[in-house]
Amino acid sequence: MANGTWRNARIRGGYQLPLAVLFVLAVAVVLIGKAQSSLFDNARTRLTDWLAPSLQVVHRPVDWVSGWWASVDEAYGVYKENVRLKEENARLRQWQTAAVMLDARVKRYQLLLHAVPDPAMSSVLAHVIGRAKRPFLETMILDAGKANGVKPGEAVVDARGMIGRIFLAGEHTSWVILLSDLNSRVPVTIEPGHARAILTGDNAKAPALDTLAQGAVVREGDQVVSSGDGGLLPPGLPVGTVVADGAHLRVALLADPALSQDVEIVDFKNPVEQPPLPTPNDLPVAAAGLPPAAPPPPPVDPATQTTTPAPQVNKPTKPQAAIDKPKPEATAPPADGEPADQ
Amino acid sequence: MERSVIGNRVIASVIPVTLAIVGTLIANMPVSFLGGIVPPPLLGLMPIYFWCLVRPDLMPPFWALIIGLLEDILSGGPPGVWAVSYIVTYAAIDRQRDAFAGLSGLGAMLGFATAAAISCATAYVVVAMYYWRVPPLAPVMGELAMTVFFYLPVVIFLGVVQRRVVGPMRSDF
Repeated sequence: MANGTWRNARIRGGYQLPLAVLFVLAVAVVLIGKAQSSLFDNARTRLTDWLAPSLQVVHRPVDWVSGWWASVDEAYGVYKENVRLKEENARLRQWQTAAVMLDARVKRYQLLLHAVPDPAMSSVLAHVIGRAKRPFLETMILDAGKANGVKPGEAVVDARGMIGRIFLAGEHTSWVILLSDLNSRVPVTIEPGHARAILTGDNAKAPALDTLAQGAVVREGDQVVSSGDGGLLPPGLPVGTVVADGAHLRVALLADPALSQDVEIVDFKNPVEQPPLPTPNDLPVAAAGLPPAAPPPPPVDPATQTTTPAPQVNKPTKPQAAIDKPKPEATAPPADGEPADQ
Repeated sequence: MERSVIGNRVIASVIPVTLAIVGTLIANMPVSFLGGIVPPPLLGLMPIYFWCLVRPDLMPPFWALIIGLLEDILSGGPPGVWAVSYIVTYAAIDRQRDAFAGLSGLGAMLGFATAAAISCATAYVVVAMYYWRVPPLAPVMGELAMTVFFYLPVVIFLGVVQRRVVGPMRSDF
C-alpha cells in the first residue's frame, strides 16, 4: 500500500492506528460534540479552573503593558481630549438634570398606574483573566464562576455597555461569548423607533442587525439596547449605535472587550408568570351548572367494621350551590339599633 | 548500557510530541499580546509537519489526533474540528512526503504554507458544516498568515532540536 501510515505501522511494530481509523475517530468526536457538547465543556471549564491562578499571574504584566501603552498613546492627544471632555461634561450635566426629572415622573406614573415593578437584578463583579481571538471563537475568561453564583446565559457588561453572555461556567472561572462572535445572537431594540431585531455576530468588529421587522425605520446613529425578549437578558442594556455598511446595517459596540479589565455579570431574575388561581366558578363542572362530584367516603376503621358495607350508589344530590345557599336574613349584619334575631 | 540506549530512545520519542503540546498550549494561552488584532498561529501544527517529514516514526498520526483534540479543548471552538483538520493534513503530507521533503529555502516555506492551508481549509469546511452556515473567511486567512509567518523561526528551533538532541539520541535507529 502506498499509504505511509501503513509503512510507519510496519516500522514501529504495528501499534499505530491507520489514518482512516483516526479520521473516523475525529469525525466521531465532531458528531459527539455536536450531540452532547457538555463533555467538552466540562473538560474546558475544569482546565480553566485549574489554570486560573497561572492565568492571573500571566495576565498581570500584560495588563500593565497594555495600560502603559494606552497611556503613551493617549498622551499625544491629551489637550484635545481634555477640551472635548469638558464640552461633553457640560452637555451631560444638562442631560443629567433632564434624566432625574424624567425618572421622578416615571416613578410617579408607575405609582399611579400600580405598574408591576421592574424585576430584581443583582450582579457579580469579575476580573478578566484571559482573552482569545480564534477564527471560530472570540472569548474572554473571567475569574468568577458557579461558586460566585454565575450561570450560563447571563449578560456581561462593562461601564460602557454590553460585552456578551456567559456560555460556560466553571467553579471559579467562566467563559464569555462576545457579541461579535460567530455564535452570538442577541435580541435587541432600536430606539427611538422601537424596532426589534437580532444582533448577529460574524467575527467582524461591528455585529450585523438581522431579522429586522418589515417597515421598521432605522437610521444611522440610532441607539441599540437589549430587548429582553426570551427573558434571559434584562431589557435596556446599552449595546451600541447603528452604522451603515453598504446595504446592511451594523452596530458599533459601545464596549470594547479588548480594553475591559473589570466587568459585571448581570443576574437577571425575570419573574415567572403565574396564572391566577382558579376559583370554584372557573371549574368546568361548576361552570356547566352540574353538581360537583361527591367527596370520597371517610376511611372505615376495620376494627370497628362488623358488616359488609353495601356497594356505593351515586344518588342524585342537590346542587351544592343550592345546599349552601346563604340565608341573607341570618347572615346579614344587623341594621343599626335592631337585634340580630328579629 | 542497554538501559541508557532505551532511555535515550524514549526521550527522543517524547520530545517531538512534547514540543507540539507546548506549542499548542502557548498558542492557546488566553492572553492577547497584540490586543486581539491577529489570531495566534497554529504552533502545534509545526512540529507535526516537521517530524512527519523528517522522522515520521517520532510523530505518528495518533499524536496528530491528540494534539488536534488538545487544540479543540483549549481554543474553545467546536470539538473535533482541529482533530479532523490535523489528521487530513497529516494524510496529505504523508502521501506527498517525497515532494515536501525535497523542498528547500522558499520552497520549504511554500510547502508548509500548503500544509497549513489544507489544515485551515479543512477546519473552515468542518465549522461550516457544524453550524450549517458559511463562516467569515478573513479570520481563517489571518490565522493561516500568522502560522506561515511564525514557521521560519520555529522551524529553525525545531531543526536545532532535531540535529542536537533527537538525532544523536536516535542514531541507532
